[in-house]
Amino acid sequence: MSRWKSFPSPLPGDWLILAIGCAAVAMLFVTLWQSEPAGKLRIRAGDQVFATLSLTQKRTLEVPGPLGISRIEIDNGRARVAADPGRHQYCVKQGWLTRAGQVAMCLPNQVSLELLGGEKAYDSLNY
Amino acid sequence: MRDMKSLCSPCAPWFKIFMLIWALMLAGCGREAMHQSQSYVFGTLVDITIYGESDDRARVLSNHVLQEFQRLHDQLHAWKSGSELDRLNTAFAAGQSVSISPELAGILSDATRLAQQSGGLFNPAIGHLIQTWGFQGEEFKPVYPDPAEIRNWVAANPQMTDIALEKGMASSRNPAVRLDLGGYAKGWSLDLAADYLRKQGVKGALVNIGGNIIAIGSHGNRPWRVGIQHPRQPGPIATLELPDGWAIGTSGDYQRYFELDGQRYCHILDPRTGHPAQGVREVSILVPPGTRAGTLSDVASKPIFLSGDGWRAAAQRMGVEHAMLIDAQGKIHLTAAMRQRLKFTDKNVALEVLP
Repeated sequence: MSRWKSFPSPLPGDWLILAIGCAAVAMLFVTLWQSEPAGKLRIRAGDQVFATLSLTQKRTLEVPGPLGISRIEIDNGRARVAADPGRHQYCVKQGWLTRAGQVAMCLPNQVSLELLGGEKAYDSLNY
Repeated sequence: MRDMKSLCSPCAPWFKIFMLIWALMLAGCGREAMHQSQSYVFGTLVDITIYGESDDRARVLSNHVLQEFQRLHDQLHAWKSGSELDRLNTAFAAGQSVSISPELAGILSDATRLAQQSGGLFNPAIGHLIQTWGFQGEEFKPVYPDPAEIRNWVAANPQMTDIALEKGMASSRNPAVRLDLGGYAKGWSLDLAADYLRKQGVKGALVNIGGNIIAIGSHGNRPWRVGIQHPRQPGPIATLELPDGWAIGTSGDYQRYFELDGQRYCHILDPRTGHPAQGVREVSILVPPGTRAGTLSDVASKPIFLSGDGWRAAAQRMGVEHAMLIDAQGKIHLTAAMRQRLKFTDKNVALEVLP
Protein backbone atom coordinates (compact mmCIF):
# COMPACT_ATOMS: atom_id res chain seq x y z
CA MET A 1 0.00 0.00 0.00
CA SER A 2 2.87 2.33 0.82
CA ARG A 3 4.02 1.98 -2.74
CA TRP A 4 0.57 2.94 -4.03
CA LYS A 5 0.57 6.04 -1.79
CA SER A 6 3.92 7.15 -3.14
CA PHE A 7 2.48 6.83 -6.66
CA PRO A 8 2.10 10.46 -7.86
CA SER A 9 -1.41 11.68 -8.63
CA PRO A 10 -1.87 12.10 -12.35
CA LEU A 11 -1.82 15.58 -13.82
CA PRO A 12 -4.34 16.72 -16.42
CA GLY A 13 -1.71 16.12 -19.05
CA ASP A 14 -1.56 12.44 -18.02
CA TRP A 15 -5.28 12.08 -18.57
CA LEU A 16 -4.89 13.69 -21.96
CA ILE A 17 -2.19 11.19 -22.95
CA LEU A 18 -4.40 8.33 -21.73
CA ALA A 19 -7.38 9.66 -23.68
CA ILE A 20 -5.32 9.99 -26.85
CA GLY A 21 -3.92 6.48 -26.29
CA CYS A 22 -7.40 4.99 -25.90
CA ALA A 23 -8.63 6.78 -29.00
CA ALA A 24 -5.63 5.53 -30.97
CA VAL A 25 -6.22 1.93 -29.82
CA ALA A 26 -9.91 2.17 -30.75
CA MET A 27 -9.04 3.57 -34.17
CA LEU A 28 -6.36 0.92 -34.85
CA PHE A 29 -8.78 -1.80 -33.72
CA VAL A 30 -11.40 -0.66 -36.21
CA THR A 31 -9.07 -0.12 -39.14
CA LEU A 32 -6.60 -2.98 -38.74
CA TRP A 33 -8.16 -5.75 -36.73
CA GLN A 34 -11.78 -5.98 -37.78
CA SER A 35 -11.22 -5.69 -41.49
CA GLU A 36 -8.31 -8.12 -41.52
CA PRO A 37 -8.50 -10.22 -44.67
CA ALA A 38 -7.57 -13.93 -44.94
CA GLY A 39 -4.02 -12.78 -44.74
CA LYS A 40 -1.87 -15.59 -43.37
CA LEU A 41 -0.89 -19.15 -44.02
CA ARG A 42 0.43 -21.86 -41.76
CA ILE A 43 2.65 -24.67 -42.94
CA ARG A 44 3.03 -27.76 -40.81
CA ALA A 45 5.61 -30.48 -41.23
CA GLY A 46 5.11 -33.65 -39.19
CA ASP A 47 3.93 -32.61 -35.73
CA GLN A 48 5.63 -29.20 -35.90
CA VAL A 49 4.52 -25.83 -37.22
CA PHE A 50 7.07 -25.18 -39.97
CA ALA A 51 6.12 -21.55 -40.56
CA THR A 52 3.31 -19.02 -40.18
CA LEU A 53 3.60 -16.39 -42.88
CA SER A 54 1.85 -13.45 -44.46
CA LEU A 55 -0.07 -14.25 -47.62
CA THR A 56 0.71 -10.88 -49.15
CA GLN A 57 4.05 -11.70 -50.66
CA LYS A 58 5.53 -13.63 -53.54
CA ARG A 59 7.67 -16.43 -52.29
CA THR A 60 8.46 -20.12 -52.69
CA LEU A 61 9.27 -22.36 -49.72
CA GLU A 62 10.81 -25.80 -49.63
CA VAL A 63 9.40 -27.92 -46.81
CA PRO A 64 11.19 -31.17 -45.99
CA GLY A 65 9.23 -34.33 -45.14
CA PRO A 66 9.97 -38.06 -44.88
CA LEU A 67 9.67 -38.51 -48.68
CA GLY A 68 11.49 -35.38 -49.73
CA ILE A 69 10.74 -31.74 -50.42
CA SER A 70 7.23 -30.29 -50.80
CA ARG A 71 7.35 -26.94 -52.59
CA ILE A 72 4.87 -24.30 -51.44
CA GLU A 73 4.19 -21.19 -53.47
CA ILE A 74 2.77 -17.95 -52.06
CA ASP A 75 1.48 -15.49 -54.63
CA ASN A 76 -0.01 -12.30 -53.16
CA GLY A 77 -3.24 -13.47 -51.55
CA ARG A 78 -3.16 -17.11 -52.58
CA ALA A 79 -1.03 -20.17 -51.95
CA ARG A 80 -0.64 -23.71 -53.27
CA VAL A 81 1.44 -26.83 -53.06
CA ALA A 82 3.35 -26.55 -56.33
CA ALA A 83 5.23 -29.82 -56.05
CA ASP A 84 5.16 -32.83 -53.74
CA PRO A 85 7.05 -36.14 -53.78
CA GLY A 86 3.87 -38.20 -52.98
CA ARG A 87 2.61 -40.51 -55.70
CA HIS A 88 -0.99 -39.34 -56.01
CA GLN A 89 -0.50 -35.57 -55.86
CA TYR A 90 -3.85 -34.96 -54.11
CA CYS A 91 -2.52 -31.82 -52.44
CA VAL A 92 -1.05 -30.47 -55.68
CA LYS A 93 -4.34 -31.14 -57.52
CA GLN A 94 -6.16 -28.94 -54.99
CA GLY A 95 -4.64 -25.96 -56.77
CA TRP A 96 -4.63 -22.44 -55.39
CA LEU A 97 -6.10 -21.82 -51.94
CA THR A 98 -7.59 -18.36 -51.56
CA ARG A 99 -9.99 -18.33 -48.59
CA ALA A 100 -9.35 -18.60 -44.87
CA GLY A 101 -9.95 -22.14 -43.62
CA GLN A 102 -8.88 -23.87 -46.82
CA VAL A 103 -6.45 -26.71 -46.36
CA ALA A 104 -4.18 -28.79 -48.58
CA MET A 105 -2.65 -31.92 -47.04
CA CYS A 106 0.20 -33.95 -48.44
CA LEU A 107 -0.28 -37.01 -46.24
CA PRO A 108 2.61 -39.25 -47.32
CA ASN A 109 5.08 -36.41 -46.92
CA GLN A 110 3.34 -35.14 -43.74
CA VAL A 111 3.16 -31.55 -44.95
CA SER A 112 0.02 -29.43 -44.66
CA LEU A 113 -0.88 -25.92 -45.75
CA GLU A 114 -3.71 -23.92 -44.17
CA LEU A 115 -4.94 -20.39 -44.86
CA LEU A 116 -5.71 -18.35 -41.75
CA GLY A 117 -7.47 -15.06 -41.24
CA GLY A 118 -10.33 -13.35 -39.49
CA GLU A 119 -12.39 -15.52 -37.17
CA LYS A 120 -12.03 -19.20 -37.98
CA ALA A 121 -15.36 -20.64 -39.10
CA TYR A 122 -14.58 -24.00 -37.48
CA ASP A 123 -12.18 -25.63 -35.01
CA SER A 124 -11.45 -28.77 -36.99
CA LEU A 125 -12.20 -30.19 -40.45
CA ASN A 126 -14.15 -33.39 -41.12
CA TYR A 127 -13.04 -35.09 -44.35
CA MET B 1 -0.59 24.71 -10.86
CA ARG B 2 -1.09 23.90 -7.23
CA ASP B 3 -4.87 24.28 -7.73
CA MET B 4 -4.90 21.94 -10.65
CA LYS B 5 -3.06 19.28 -8.72
CA SER B 6 -5.46 19.41 -5.77
CA LEU B 7 -8.30 19.08 -8.26
CA CYS B 8 -6.89 15.84 -9.48
CA SER B 9 -5.63 14.29 -6.27
CA PRO B 10 -9.07 12.87 -5.29
CA CYS B 11 -8.91 11.10 -8.64
CA ALA B 12 -6.05 8.90 -7.50
CA PRO B 13 -8.24 5.94 -6.42
CA TRP B 14 -10.11 6.18 -9.72
CA PHE B 15 -6.83 6.18 -11.50
CA LYS B 16 -5.90 2.93 -9.75
CA ILE B 17 -9.21 1.33 -10.68
CA PHE B 18 -8.80 2.54 -14.23
CA MET B 19 -5.33 1.00 -14.44
CA LEU B 20 -6.64 -2.25 -12.95
CA ILE B 21 -9.42 -2.49 -15.55
CA TRP B 22 -6.92 -1.63 -18.25
CA ALA B 23 -4.61 -4.42 -17.07
CA LEU B 24 -7.51 -6.89 -17.06
CA MET B 25 -8.46 -5.86 -20.58
CA LEU B 26 -4.90 -6.42 -21.73
CA ALA B 27 -4.91 -9.83 -20.04
CA GLY B 28 -7.90 -10.64 -22.24
CA CYS B 29 -5.66 -10.07 -25.24
CA GLY B 30 -3.56 -13.04 -24.16
CA ARG B 31 -3.95 -16.37 -25.95
CA GLU B 32 -6.94 -18.53 -25.18
CA ALA B 33 -6.26 -21.61 -23.09
CA MET B 34 -6.23 -23.81 -26.17
CA HIS B 35 -3.63 -26.41 -26.98
CA GLN B 36 -3.39 -28.09 -30.35
CA SER B 37 -1.13 -30.96 -31.30
CA GLN B 38 -0.80 -32.81 -34.57
CA SER B 39 0.81 -36.07 -35.48
CA TYR B 40 0.69 -38.74 -38.17
CA VAL B 41 -0.77 -42.08 -37.04
CA PHE B 42 -2.91 -44.70 -38.89
CA GLY B 43 -1.35 -43.36 -42.10
CA THR B 44 -3.23 -40.10 -41.64
CA LEU B 45 -3.26 -36.84 -39.74
CA VAL B 46 -4.28 -36.87 -36.08
CA ASP B 47 -5.28 -33.55 -34.57
CA ILE B 48 -6.01 -33.09 -30.86
CA THR B 49 -7.33 -29.78 -29.53
CA ILE B 50 -7.70 -29.32 -25.78
CA TYR B 51 -9.37 -26.30 -24.24
CA GLY B 52 -9.20 -25.00 -20.69
CA GLU B 53 -6.12 -26.87 -19.46
CA SER B 54 -2.66 -25.53 -18.82
CA ASP B 55 -0.26 -25.96 -21.71
CA ASP B 56 1.82 -28.51 -19.81
CA ARG B 57 -1.11 -30.66 -18.79
CA ALA B 58 -2.65 -30.47 -22.26
CA ARG B 59 0.65 -31.63 -23.73
CA VAL B 60 0.85 -34.59 -21.34
CA LEU B 61 -2.75 -35.58 -22.12
CA SER B 62 -2.29 -35.30 -25.89
CA ASN B 63 0.93 -37.29 -25.77
CA HIS B 64 -0.79 -40.07 -23.85
CA VAL B 65 -3.60 -40.20 -26.42
CA LEU B 66 -1.12 -40.21 -29.32
CA GLN B 67 0.84 -43.04 -27.71
CA GLU B 68 -2.36 -45.05 -27.36
CA PHE B 69 -3.13 -44.42 -31.04
CA GLN B 70 0.34 -45.56 -32.01
CA ARG B 71 -0.08 -48.73 -29.93
CA LEU B 72 -3.44 -49.48 -31.61
CA HIS B 73 -1.95 -48.70 -35.01
CA ASP B 74 0.85 -51.23 -34.44
CA GLN B 75 -1.57 -53.81 -33.07
CA LEU B 76 -4.25 -53.44 -35.77
CA HIS B 77 -2.04 -52.81 -38.80
CA ALA B 78 -3.55 -54.79 -41.68
CA TRP B 79 -0.45 -55.51 -43.71
CA LYS B 80 2.64 -54.90 -41.57
CA SER B 81 4.03 -58.30 -40.66
CA GLY B 82 4.23 -58.87 -36.92
CA SER B 83 1.12 -56.92 -35.92
CA GLU B 84 -1.44 -58.84 -33.88
CA LEU B 85 -3.91 -58.56 -36.76
CA ASP B 86 -1.33 -59.87 -39.22
CA ARG B 87 -0.67 -62.92 -37.06
CA LEU B 88 -4.41 -63.51 -36.91
CA ASN B 89 -4.73 -63.25 -40.70
CA THR B 90 -1.85 -65.67 -41.21
CA ALA B 91 -3.55 -68.18 -38.89
CA PHE B 92 -6.92 -67.76 -40.65
CA ALA B 93 -5.33 -68.44 -44.05
CA ALA B 94 -3.69 -71.58 -42.68
CA GLY B 95 -6.91 -72.75 -41.00
CA GLN B 96 -5.30 -72.54 -37.58
CA SER B 97 -6.46 -71.33 -34.21
CA VAL B 98 -4.53 -68.52 -32.52
CA SER B 99 -4.71 -66.77 -29.14
CA ILE B 100 -5.80 -63.13 -29.20
CA SER B 101 -5.88 -60.31 -26.68
CA PRO B 102 -9.17 -59.52 -24.90
CA GLU B 103 -9.04 -56.08 -26.55
CA LEU B 104 -8.90 -57.52 -30.08
CA ALA B 105 -11.58 -60.08 -29.20
CA GLY B 106 -13.81 -57.18 -28.10
CA ILE B 107 -13.13 -55.32 -31.34
CA LEU B 108 -13.91 -58.38 -33.46
CA SER B 109 -17.23 -59.17 -31.79
CA ASP B 110 -18.29 -55.50 -32.01
CA ALA B 111 -17.26 -55.33 -35.69
CA THR B 112 -19.15 -58.56 -36.39
CA ARG B 113 -22.32 -57.10 -34.86
CA LEU B 114 -22.00 -53.95 -37.02
CA ALA B 115 -21.27 -56.02 -40.15
CA GLN B 116 -24.48 -57.98 -39.58
CA GLN B 117 -26.46 -54.81 -38.92
CA SER B 118 -25.21 -53.39 -42.25
CA GLY B 119 -26.35 -56.45 -44.17
CA GLY B 120 -22.73 -57.21 -45.07
CA LEU B 121 -22.00 -53.81 -46.67
CA PHE B 122 -19.59 -53.06 -43.85
CA ASN B 123 -17.27 -56.02 -44.12
CA PRO B 124 -13.80 -55.90 -42.51
CA ALA B 125 -13.18 -59.50 -43.69
CA ILE B 126 -12.46 -58.46 -47.31
CA GLY B 127 -8.77 -57.69 -46.73
CA HIS B 128 -7.82 -59.85 -49.75
CA LEU B 129 -9.97 -57.69 -52.05
CA ILE B 130 -8.51 -54.47 -50.64
CA GLN B 131 -5.04 -55.90 -51.16
CA THR B 132 -5.90 -56.97 -54.73
CA TRP B 133 -6.94 -53.40 -55.54
CA GLY B 134 -3.68 -52.18 -54.08
CA PHE B 135 -5.27 -49.95 -51.42
CA GLN B 136 -3.12 -51.52 -48.74
CA GLY B 137 0.15 -49.63 -48.70
CA GLU B 138 0.98 -45.98 -48.14
CA GLU B 139 1.81 -45.47 -51.81
CA PHE B 140 -0.49 -47.71 -53.82
CA LYS B 141 -0.11 -48.06 -57.59
CA PRO B 142 -2.82 -46.98 -60.04
CA VAL B 143 -3.28 -50.40 -61.66
CA TYR B 144 -6.48 -52.21 -62.60
CA PRO B 145 -6.31 -55.66 -60.97
CA ASP B 146 -6.89 -59.03 -62.63
CA PRO B 147 -10.73 -59.43 -62.92
CA ALA B 148 -10.47 -63.19 -62.31
CA GLU B 149 -8.78 -62.55 -58.99
CA ILE B 150 -11.56 -60.15 -57.97
CA ARG B 151 -14.21 -62.72 -58.94
CA ASN B 152 -12.45 -65.38 -56.87
CA TRP B 153 -12.35 -63.30 -53.70
CA VAL B 154 -16.01 -62.29 -54.09
CA ALA B 155 -17.02 -65.94 -54.68
CA ALA B 156 -15.06 -67.03 -51.59
CA ASN B 157 -17.50 -64.82 -49.63
CA PRO B 158 -15.44 -63.99 -46.53
CA GLN B 159 -17.67 -62.86 -43.64
CA MET B 160 -17.10 -61.73 -40.06
CA THR B 161 -19.48 -64.52 -38.99
CA ASP B 162 -16.95 -67.06 -40.29
CA ILE B 163 -14.78 -66.15 -37.30
CA ALA B 164 -15.14 -68.14 -34.08
CA LEU B 165 -13.98 -66.66 -30.77
CA GLU B 166 -13.64 -69.03 -27.86
CA LYS B 167 -11.67 -68.86 -24.61
CA GLY B 168 -9.18 -66.32 -25.88
CA MET B 169 -8.67 -68.21 -29.15
CA ALA B 170 -9.75 -67.14 -32.64
CA SER B 171 -10.19 -69.19 -35.79
CA SER B 172 -11.96 -68.87 -39.13
CA ARG B 173 -13.88 -71.59 -40.90
CA ASN B 174 -13.27 -69.69 -44.15
CA PRO B 175 -9.57 -69.33 -45.12
CA ALA B 176 -10.51 -66.38 -47.41
CA VAL B 177 -11.14 -64.18 -44.36
CA ARG B 178 -8.47 -61.51 -44.11
CA LEU B 179 -9.19 -58.72 -41.65
CA ASP B 180 -8.68 -55.06 -42.53
CA LEU B 181 -10.02 -52.73 -39.86
CA GLY B 182 -9.42 -49.59 -41.96
CA GLY B 183 -13.08 -48.58 -41.61
CA TYR B 184 -13.28 -49.29 -37.91
CA ALA B 185 -10.03 -48.70 -36.03
CA LYS B 186 -10.12 -44.89 -36.23
CA GLY B 187 -13.61 -44.76 -34.74
CA TRP B 188 -12.71 -47.24 -32.01
CA SER B 189 -9.67 -45.14 -31.16
CA LEU B 190 -11.81 -41.98 -30.98
CA ASP B 191 -14.02 -43.63 -28.34
CA LEU B 192 -10.95 -44.73 -26.42
CA ALA B 193 -9.50 -41.21 -26.49
CA ALA B 194 -12.80 -39.61 -25.45
CA ASP B 195 -13.16 -42.03 -22.49
CA TYR B 196 -9.62 -41.28 -21.35
CA LEU B 197 -9.92 -37.50 -21.62
CA ARG B 198 -13.24 -37.51 -19.76
CA LYS B 199 -11.78 -39.64 -16.96
CA GLN B 200 -8.95 -37.12 -16.70
CA GLY B 201 -11.52 -34.40 -16.11
CA VAL B 202 -10.97 -32.56 -19.38
CA LYS B 203 -13.76 -30.03 -19.96
CA GLY B 204 -13.17 -29.40 -23.63
CA ALA B 205 -11.43 -31.39 -26.37
CA LEU B 206 -11.79 -32.16 -30.04
CA VAL B 207 -10.10 -35.30 -31.38
CA ASN B 208 -9.72 -35.67 -35.15
CA ILE B 209 -8.31 -38.85 -36.69
CA GLY B 210 -8.08 -38.53 -40.45
CA GLY B 211 -11.25 -36.44 -40.58
CA ASN B 212 -13.27 -38.51 -38.10
CA ILE B 213 -14.04 -36.24 -35.14
CA ILE B 214 -15.44 -36.62 -31.62
CA ALA B 215 -16.24 -33.71 -29.28
CA ILE B 216 -15.70 -33.64 -25.54
CA GLY B 217 -17.32 -30.76 -23.66
CA SER B 218 -17.10 -27.41 -25.40
CA HIS B 219 -14.74 -24.67 -26.47
CA GLY B 220 -15.18 -22.55 -23.35
CA ASN B 221 -18.67 -21.08 -23.42
CA ARG B 222 -19.44 -21.99 -27.02
CA PRO B 223 -19.81 -25.43 -28.64
CA TRP B 224 -17.09 -26.90 -30.84
CA ARG B 225 -17.48 -26.08 -34.52
CA VAL B 226 -16.39 -28.34 -37.37
CA GLY B 227 -16.32 -28.00 -41.14
CA ILE B 228 -17.25 -30.76 -43.62
CA GLN B 229 -14.80 -30.97 -46.52
CA HIS B 230 -16.15 -30.17 -50.00
CA PRO B 231 -15.58 -33.29 -52.15
CA ARG B 232 -14.19 -31.35 -55.12
CA GLN B 233 -12.97 -28.01 -53.72
CA PRO B 234 -10.50 -27.01 -51.05
CA GLY B 235 -12.30 -25.90 -47.90
CA PRO B 236 -15.63 -26.80 -46.30
CA ILE B 237 -19.00 -27.33 -48.02
CA ALA B 238 -20.75 -26.72 -44.69
CA THR B 239 -20.04 -26.08 -41.03
CA LEU B 240 -21.86 -27.24 -37.91
CA GLU B 241 -21.73 -27.23 -34.16
CA LEU B 242 -20.57 -30.47 -32.58
CA PRO B 243 -21.95 -30.64 -29.04
CA ASP B 244 -20.52 -32.69 -26.17
CA GLY B 245 -20.27 -36.39 -27.01
CA TRP B 246 -21.26 -36.10 -30.67
CA ALA B 247 -19.13 -37.62 -33.42
CA ILE B 248 -18.92 -36.97 -37.15
CA GLY B 249 -17.62 -39.26 -39.85
CA THR B 250 -17.23 -38.97 -43.60
CA SER B 251 -16.51 -41.36 -46.43
CA GLY B 252 -15.35 -39.73 -49.63
CA ASP B 253 -14.17 -40.81 -53.07
CA TYR B 254 -11.47 -38.12 -52.83
CA GLN B 255 -9.54 -39.50 -49.84
CA ARG B 256 -7.77 -42.48 -51.38
CA TYR B 257 -8.31 -43.10 -55.06
CA PHE B 258 -6.57 -43.48 -58.37
CA GLU B 259 -7.58 -42.55 -61.89
CA LEU B 260 -7.25 -44.80 -64.90
CA ASP B 261 -8.52 -43.88 -68.39
CA GLY B 262 -10.56 -41.01 -66.95
CA GLN B 263 -12.33 -43.24 -64.43
CA ARG B 264 -11.94 -42.69 -60.71
CA TYR B 265 -11.44 -45.76 -58.50
CA CYS B 266 -11.88 -44.93 -54.81
CA HIS B 267 -10.85 -46.99 -51.80
CA ILE B 268 -14.40 -47.85 -50.74
CA LEU B 269 -14.99 -51.35 -52.11
CA ASP B 270 -18.41 -52.95 -52.53
CA PRO B 271 -18.14 -56.46 -51.02
CA ARG B 272 -20.97 -57.63 -53.35
CA THR B 273 -19.15 -56.78 -56.59
CA GLY B 274 -15.55 -56.55 -55.44
CA HIS B 275 -15.29 -53.18 -57.19
CA PRO B 276 -14.94 -49.60 -55.91
CA ALA B 277 -18.23 -47.82 -55.27
CA GLN B 278 -19.39 -45.51 -58.09
CA GLY B 279 -21.98 -42.76 -58.19
CA VAL B 280 -21.28 -41.14 -54.82
CA ARG B 281 -18.74 -38.49 -53.91
CA GLU B 282 -19.25 -38.15 -50.20
CA VAL B 283 -21.32 -39.33 -47.25
CA SER B 284 -21.20 -37.54 -43.89
CA ILE B 285 -22.99 -38.68 -40.77
CA LEU B 286 -23.50 -37.29 -37.29
CA VAL B 287 -23.82 -39.62 -34.34
CA PRO B 288 -25.30 -38.56 -30.97
CA PRO B 289 -23.56 -39.28 -27.66
CA GLY B 290 -23.36 -42.95 -26.74
CA THR B 291 -20.87 -45.56 -25.66
CA ARG B 292 -19.69 -46.14 -29.25
CA ALA B 293 -20.38 -42.82 -30.98
CA GLY B 294 -16.90 -42.62 -32.52
CA THR B 295 -16.99 -46.19 -33.79
CA LEU B 296 -20.44 -45.79 -35.35
CA SER B 297 -19.42 -42.50 -36.99
CA ASP B 298 -16.55 -44.33 -38.70
CA VAL B 299 -18.40 -47.52 -39.64
CA ALA B 300 -21.89 -46.38 -40.65
CA SER B 301 -20.87 -44.00 -43.46
CA LYS B 302 -19.61 -46.97 -45.57
CA PRO B 303 -22.88 -48.93 -45.99
CA ILE B 304 -24.68 -45.63 -46.73
CA PHE B 305 -22.04 -44.76 -49.34
CA LEU B 306 -22.37 -48.22 -50.96
CA SER B 307 -26.18 -48.04 -51.03
CA GLY B 308 -26.29 -45.09 -53.47
CA ASP B 309 -29.97 -44.31 -54.18
CA GLY B 310 -30.99 -46.49 -51.24
CA TRP B 311 -28.92 -44.40 -48.82
CA ARG B 312 -31.85 -43.34 -46.62
CA ALA B 313 -32.85 -46.92 -45.85
CA ALA B 314 -29.22 -47.86 -45.22
CA ALA B 315 -28.91 -44.98 -42.73
CA GLN B 316 -32.05 -46.16 -40.95
CA ARG B 317 -30.69 -49.68 -40.79
CA MET B 318 -27.53 -48.38 -39.09
CA GLY B 319 -29.61 -46.30 -36.69
CA VAL B 320 -28.32 -43.02 -38.16
CA GLU B 321 -30.69 -40.02 -38.17
CA HIS B 322 -28.26 -37.38 -39.40
CA ALA B 323 -26.88 -38.19 -42.85
CA MET B 324 -25.87 -36.35 -46.01
CA LEU B 325 -24.96 -37.82 -49.40
CA ILE B 326 -23.40 -35.97 -52.33
CA ASP B 327 -23.90 -37.85 -55.60
CA ALA B 328 -21.70 -38.03 -58.70
CA GLN B 329 -23.41 -34.93 -60.16
CA GLY B 330 -22.64 -32.98 -57.00
CA LYS B 331 -26.27 -32.93 -55.89
CA ILE B 332 -26.77 -32.92 -52.14
CA HIS B 333 -29.28 -35.27 -50.48
CA LEU B 334 -29.78 -35.14 -46.73
CA THR B 335 -32.12 -36.02 -43.89
CA ALA B 336 -34.25 -33.27 -42.33
CA ALA B 337 -32.41 -33.76 -39.03
CA MET B 338 -29.07 -33.22 -40.78
CA ARG B 339 -30.40 -30.15 -42.64
CA GLN B 340 -31.17 -28.48 -39.31
CA ARG B 341 -27.59 -28.88 -38.15
CA LEU B 342 -25.69 -27.68 -41.21
CA LYS B 343 -24.75 -24.18 -42.30
CA PHE B 344 -23.83 -24.35 -45.98
CA THR B 345 -20.94 -22.23 -47.23
CA ASP B 346 -22.86 -21.58 -50.46
CA LYS B 347 -26.25 -20.21 -49.33
CA ASN B 348 -27.92 -20.94 -52.70
CA VAL B 349 -26.94 -24.59 -52.89
CA ALA B 350 -29.69 -26.97 -54.11
CA LEU B 351 -30.70 -29.57 -51.52
CA GLU B 352 -32.94 -32.61 -51.57
CA VAL B 353 -34.22 -33.05 -48.03
CA LEU B 354 -35.76 -36.39 -46.99
CA PRO B 355 -37.68 -36.93 -43.75
